[in-house]
Amino acid sequence: MRTPRTPYAVACGVAMLLLGAAVVMGARRAPARSHVVRISGFQFVPPRISAAVGDTVIWSNEDIVPHTATAVTGAWDSGTIAAKGRWTLVVRAAGRVHYQCALHPSMKATVEAE
Amino acid sequence: MRFTGLSLALLVLAGVACASGSMENSDSIAAAPQSVQSAPQLTDANIAAIVVAANAIDIENGELALERSRTSDIRQFAQTMITDHSGVNRAAVDLVTKLKVTPVDNSTSTGLVASANATRASLAQRSGADFDRAYIANEVDYHRAVLSAIDDALIPGARNGELRALLVSVRPAIAAHLQHAESLKQQVAN
Repeated sequence: MRTPRTPYAVACGVAMLLLGAAVVMGARRAPARSHVVRISGFQFVPPRISAAVGDTVIWSNEDIVPHTATAVTGAWDSGTIAAKGRWTLVVRAAGRVHYQCALHPSMKATVEAE
Repeated sequence: MRFTGLSLALLVLAGVACASGSMENSDSIAAAPQSVQSAPQLTDANIAAIVVAANAIDIENGELALERSRTSDIRQFAQTMITDHSGVNRAAVDLVTKLKVTPVDNSTSTGLVASANATRASLAQRSGADFDRAYIANEVDYHRAVLSAIDDALIPGARNGELRALLVSVRPAIAAHLQHAESLKQQVAN
């Protein structure tokens, strides 16, 4: 024998469904963002960027000579970025990574990922 | 004798290829600096010729280092010099072509080349660690002098705005090369 539904029971059910949906949506990551680092005048601009895991970082070489973006830890390395060329990295791990141009060691910068 | 900022910068620039004045005794290479003490007012065509000559000199020095050095850091530096100075020269040639300016040799550009030839002849007699030390000491002196010449003579002397902008954009490259060369000089001395 089925118990008749009261308006109160229906309201509780809807509330629980809404709560569940909110939990699921809240657990999703924020949409991935893109960050651009200009290589200009033998400098990385800006010298420090903050990104989230899953974000994309694009190095855009505006100089007339090649450069690299090479993590000091060896975690990633662009190889040669030609003059007027670009290189894209998808951030895979949280943490602070110092990097430099392997061709011009005085050029240094940092990516902070969380 | 009293030097103006311009003539001193040109004198420094003219002396860079031989680089005999400021080099330590053990690394000294014998060529005497060819002074350009009474440099006339530079035209943009003269400046273009100096830029092309100065870049060509360091490209040839780099090629010599690739032939004679077996030290990976020195070879990598030499390759970077060849790549970067070739890039700067391409930009300079593209610009003067666009501006319809034909580089005109002058006492500074010809003095640079003559001194550089003497320097290279001296460097070519060396090998091993002796070559590395002399090559990198010359690179330090060369880039330091070029930086002074850019600041004191070439940028102030350039009349065309695009030529001046090119010189301004080249300056950080020379400064980075100088810093790199100074670091290597310390490294090969140890």
